Amino acid sequence: MPAVTSAKAVFSSDHPLPWLFPLIAMLVVFTIYPLIYNIWLSFHEYAPFRRELEYVGTDNWVALWNDERFWGSLSVTLTYFVVVLIIELVLGMAIALLLDADLAGFGVMRGLLTLTLVIPPAITGMMFLLIQDAEFGVLTWVLEQVGVLDGTAPILSTPSTALLGVMLADIWQWTPFMVLIFLAGLRGLPGEPYEAAMLDGASGWQIFRRITLPQLSKVIAIAVLLRGIDLFRMFDYVFVMTSGGPGTATYTLSLYAWQQTFSFIKWGYGATISLVSLVLILVIANLFIWIAKVRW
Amino acid sequence: MRDSDRKQYAARAVDRFVKGRMDRRQFLRTAGQLGLGATALGTGLGARPFWTPKAHADAHAALKPSDEVLAWVRDVSAPFRGTTLKLATESTPPSNAINSQLKQYFEEASGMTVEIEVLPLEQVLQKLTLDIASQLGTYDLYYIDQSWAAFTARDVFDPREQLAANPDLAMPGWAVEDFLPALVDGIARYEDSLVGVPYDIPIFIFMYRKDIYEQMGFSAPTSLEEYYEQAKAITDEMGPDMYGATGQMKSGHYSLECDWTAWLWGHGGSIFDADGKFAGNDERGLEAMEYWRRLYGTMPPGVTGWTWDGQGQSIAQGVAATMMSWGEFFPYFDDPSATKVSGLMEAVRCPAPKHALRTVDETGFGEIPGVGHQGGSSLAVSRNSKNPDPAWIFMQWATSYDTQVLITALGGGTGPTRTAVYDDPRIIANNRVGPGTTRHLGVVRETIANDMGSEPDLPEWAELANDTIPVRLGKYFAGEYSSNKEAMDDIAQAADKIVSG
Repeated sequence: MPAVTSAKAVFSSDHPLPWLFPLIAMLVVFTIYPLIYNIWLSFHEYAPFRRELEYVGTDNWVALWNDERFWGSLSVTLTYFVVVLIIELVLGMAIALLLDADLAGFGVMRGLLTLTLVIPPAITGMMFLLIQDAEFGVLTWVLEQVGVLDGTAPILSTPSTALLGVMLADIWQWTPFMVLIFLAGLRGLPGEPYEAAMLDGASGWQIFRRITLPQLSKVIAIAVLLRGIDLFRMFDYVFVMTSGGPGTATYTLSLYAWQQTFSFIKWGYGATISLVSLVLILVIANLFIWIAKVRW
Repeated sequence: MRDSDRKQYAARAVDRFVKGRMDRRQFLRTAGQLGLGATALGTGLGARPFWTPKAHADAHAALKPSDEVLAWVRDVSAPFRGTTLKLATESTPPSNAINSQLKQYFEEASGMTVEIEVLPLEQVLQKLTLDIASQLGTYDLYYIDQSWAAFTARDVFDPREQLAANPDLAMPGWAVEDFLPALVDGIARYEDSLVGVPYDIPIFIFMYRKDIYEQMGFSAPTSLEEYYEQAKAITDEMGPDMYGATGQMKSGHYSLECDWTAWLWGHGGSIFDADGKFAGNDERGLEAMEYWRRLYGTMPPGVTGWTWDGQGQSIAQGVAATMMSWGEFFPYFDDPSATKVSGLMEAVRCPAPKHALRTVDETGFGEIPGVGHQGGSSLAVSRNSKNPDPAWIFMQWATSYDTQVLITALGGGTGPTRTAVYDDPRIIANNRVGPGTTRHLGVVRETIANDMGSEPDLPEWAELANDTIPVRLGKYFAGEYSSNKEAMDDIAQAADKIVSG
């Protein structure tokens, strides 16, 4: 029975390779091959009349460099990324600190926080589309009542406010995610440093800055990385709420890549945009890890 | 009872039931006397999606395909029993009527299964382009918006070719010549080939609130300038509760491009000149933009966030008094269970152009200027289909005279693409106020004959019409250009670059 013997030898081996093989296979099939194919695709373009991919050299990369729509989409993406991340981070931390106090009813509130996370983003987008509707949207009505809007410039149809309108949906849906992560971190912190600081007369802000923040740094880093990557490839909200408009005011890189790839069948160009997104995410993530001095 | 008598009798019964002059029990008894099965009678009381009147679903259970047609389907489909056909289509009256109420007859007679995916237009384009690019043949039939005709021409069968190649599969009496010639030219023709046959014909007509016009002392506008003056007067007098005009002006959406062409053509302009260069930035084009900008000032503030759905809703919910848009909306407006304006709307031809229309020779890529922008679609069999013959049988059935009559009745008074259907007694019977009315079809027919405008046919048009033009028009209405000229010059630069490759 040589087959059984060899299988036995493999599974009883101390060598890591047999145990890593399934993971490596999955990585190759689902990550490495698509990545290499994407790189190859960025040097090709689909020729609709010949019905085939043809080699175009660096044309897609040169076109990307000269494409105003790409730079505009990148600018929108970065703005969205920075603003939403900061708001969700600050708001998430504030709510987490509040809910960390075990007051009556806070347990229920912590449970309720998960509700927004189970709603598909496209549905959230539809909800906020209605909330901000120029005719009957409740938010529009409230802002008109307090004099912020004058009734002539709908939130999602005005370039200066459209992106904010989209951000609102994201912040509403994903701030609870930050809260839950921070809350889990806060619950795991040891109590002794706090008792010592209080005995020494430290203020609440000093305790937060000198004890809580340093101890939560890894948790914060994970939350920022996860949300940051999500924000960089945001698609659903703009697709549902604005289709990238008005004009190109809310066109993100993901939406642009999608449009080029699937609406106009410019597969090579779409792959090029996706690759740039990937590189940017990797650079920003590693930069963040380096700056935040995160040690995994 | 002869077939024609049965149709007349059914039409009268339907008319009386819809008008409330016949109760449900009596209607069912009448339908039973016409030999209809219990299954057909039990349908249609559910909620209805937009553009598929529910009141008719019940009433029109009396309408079903003729025995002759079903006999042909049964006979010719015998070798193909068990085949599954797939079609991705926009949610339009013909597709909704076929999908929800008519395909069951085809499936029963043919032994085939027909899977119809009803999707928003942009998703249909996406599925179609992917299917063409991959050549997988996922879809056997293509629903082709007229703006995609050039792009898809090489990937579908010319119906004349199919008729000649498969005489045994030809439906008796089915001929391309039976379709309205203007629609064949405007929707289905690309160079010398036919990209299927005309399947539906949404077309711009002018619709207005009769009660408000009477109150203001207006009559239907005969010129674009008169229309603007009326719209402005209504908004000034009744706003913000009621606006004089409305639109489908969502940035980056095809609907915005549709509105633009109506004003452009209406001012004697064109999208392309005879040399194939973008001409929307010439004198006539700029005059059109100036007119549109003024008219925009009479519209509800949310109009730049609406596609055709929002535009229709603004009339249906009593927010706007007029619209120059798709005639398909009219039957919906007459449905008292869905809108506030049943019986209050009137339909007429669009106001006359301000300047003489350009001729086809003065434009490029087969563009046909006309204030009645048509957004028709054709139905064609994909060359990538693994079942081209069964798909061809379905296509003939779906576009036959008999089926179009049923679509027009069941689908809520949509404009037929066949000449004779307009005169069918079952269609004429619905010429009254109520859901699924056909009282606007005379205007639709006149518009097709006299005012119809068709977009140019070039492979790049799908990108121009769905992105290049509407994205920049969106920027224009968002105030991102300092002048009409700057906006149109920007479009010209981008469009010419795309067209020149």
